[in-house]
Amino acid sequence: MNRLSSLMYMTYFQFAVQYRKTMIGPIWVLLGPTLFILTLGILFSEVSQVSAAVFVPHLAIGFICWTLVSGFVTGSTTVFQRSRAQVLQGGMSLLDIVAVDVMRTILHFLHQILILVVVFFWFDLSWTYYSWVSLIGLLILVANGVWLTMLFGIIGARYRDLSEIVNAIMRIAFLATPIIWLPSERSGGVMGAFLTFNPFYHFLEVVRAPLLGQTVAMDTWLIVSAFTILGFAVTGMFYRRLGERIPLWV
Amino acid sequence: MSEVLLKADRISLSVPVFQPSDRQLMTNPLQFITDLYLSRTTRGIAYLLNDISMEVRAGERIGIIGANGAGKSTLLRLLAGIYKPTTGNLTTSGSVKGLFDISLGMNLEATGLENIYMRGLQMGYGFSEIREMIPDILDFSELEKDIEKPLNTYSTGMRLRLAVAVSTTRSPDLLLLDEWIGTGDMRFRDKVKERMDQLVEQAHGLIIATHNTVLMKALCTRGIVLEGGNLVYQGDLDDALAFYEEEVRAVAASKK
Repeated sequence: MNRLSSLMYMTYFQFAVQYRKTMIGPIWVLLGPTLFILTLGILFSEVSQVSAAVFVPHLAIGFICWTLVSGFVTGSTTVFQRSRAQVLQGGMSLLDIVAVDVMRTILHFLHQILILVVVFFWFDLSWTYYSWVSLIGLLILVANGVWLTMLFGIIGARYRDLSEIVNAIMRIAFLATPIIWLPSERSGGVMGAFLTFNPFYHFLEVVRAPLLGQTVAMDTWLIVSAFTILGFAVTGMFYRRLGERIPLWV
Repeated sequence: MSEVLLKADRISLSVPVFQPSDRQLMTNPLQFITDLYLSRTTRGIAYLLNDISMEVRAGERIGIIGANGAGKSTLLRLLAGIYKPTTGNLTTSGSVKGLFDISLGMNLEATGLENIYMRGLQMGYGFSEIREMIPDILDFSELEKDIEKPLNTYSTGMRLRLAVAVSTTRSPDLLLLDEWIGTGDMRFRDKVKERMDQLVEQAHGLIIATHNTVLMKALCTRGIVLEGGNLVYQGDLDDALAFYEEEVRAVAASKK
C-alpha cells in the first residue's frame, strides 16, 4: 500500500511537471475532448433525426471512455521501452512501471469526467440506482487495462511490430464502435451485426449504458467477464515465463 | 573470513540479436532495401558474458577493468540481478544496488528537491525514507541554496553531485558503480572517495567499473580484467592493472 501511494505520487508529479510551463496547465486535457464533443454533437444532431438530448450524452460518455480505452491499448505496446532507464535500474518492478502507466491514463480520464458532469446537468439526465453499475463497469475496464498493459508491454518489447498493428487497429475500432453513431440507428445497421464481435463495444457498454438509463445485456457481462479472467490468466503466464527477459529486450 | 556478499558461479549471458546488414546501405543500397522489406535480418545469439566466476566478501572493493565493450556494464547489471544469467548461478546475501544511469528519474523542468524524490522513488526507496535522506543529500551535494531551482539551471557537475548524493546516501550491502562515477571535479572526487571509504568501513562491498585508473587505485583492493565477455584475470588491483596494460601493449605490438 505504501508502495502504491509512492507510485501515485510519481504519476501525479510527472503529470504536473508536464504542464508546468503551460498557461492553463492540465485544462489542456479537457480542451481536446470538449472541442470534439461540441463540434460533433452540434453537427450530428443537426443532420440526423436523433435529438441532441439523446445523441450528445451518448457521444460524450462514449468518447471519453474511448479515450481511456485507447490510452490503455496504444500506451501498452511501448510501456517498457519508454521506461527503459527504470527497467535497467532495477529499482522498480515491471508491475510498478505498468501501474504508473495505467494510473497516468486514469488521471487523464478523471479530469475528463468533468465534461460528463457538465453534459449530465445540461441535458438534465437522471441519476438512478442502476447508474451506480457503471462504476462496476469502470472498475472492470481499468482491471483489463492492467493486464493488457503488462501483456502488450511484454510482447511489444520483443516485437516492435505490435505497436504498429495496434495503432492501425485502433483507428478502425474507433469507427467500428458506436461512439459517433448510435447502435440502434438504421444507419448503423450494417455495423450493428458485427457489434457482438467487437470487444470494445462491450467494454464501453458496461460503463455507458447504466449512465444512460439502459440495461446492460447479459451477453455483454459474460463477454467482459471472460475477457477479464482469460486476460489475467494469459498475462500471468507470459509474465512468469518472459518477464525476466524484458531488460534484455528494451 | 568475512561474510560472502555475492557469489557468481560460472554465469553466462547470451541474448538473441537481430542484425541488419547496416553497411549495405553504402555498398549495396538495393540489397539493403529488399532486406528491410523481406525482413531478412541476420538472427544470431550474442554471448555477452561467458563463464564468469567471482566472489565478493564484505569490505572488499573490486575494480572491473577492460576495454570499451568488454562487458563491464553488462556484468554489473547481471550482478545487480537485473539481467538473469542464461546459465550458472548467482547468489547474493543482503541488498545490492547499482548506480548505472546518471539521468534516471531526472526531469529538467522539475526542481532539485523534486528530482531527489523522483530519483529516490525510481530507485525503489519509499517516500518517508527519502524524506529522512534529504538533509544528508543536501549536505553531500552542497546544493542547499539551489535546491528549489529547476534542474535545467544546474551545471553538469551539479547534476552529477545531486545524482550521486541520492544514490549513495543509503548504502546497500553491495554497491555497484558504473563508469560516470569517475567524472566530476577534484573536490567532488575526494568526497566520493571519502564516502566509499565509509561504506567499506561499515563492512559493505563495492564493485566499480571505470577507466579512471587513479580513482580505481584509490578505491579498490582487487581487480578483475574482462575481455570480450570473458574473465581473463582476477587478483590484486595492481597486478590486474599491470596484466591489462601488458595485454593492451601486446595487442598494439601485434598490429605493427
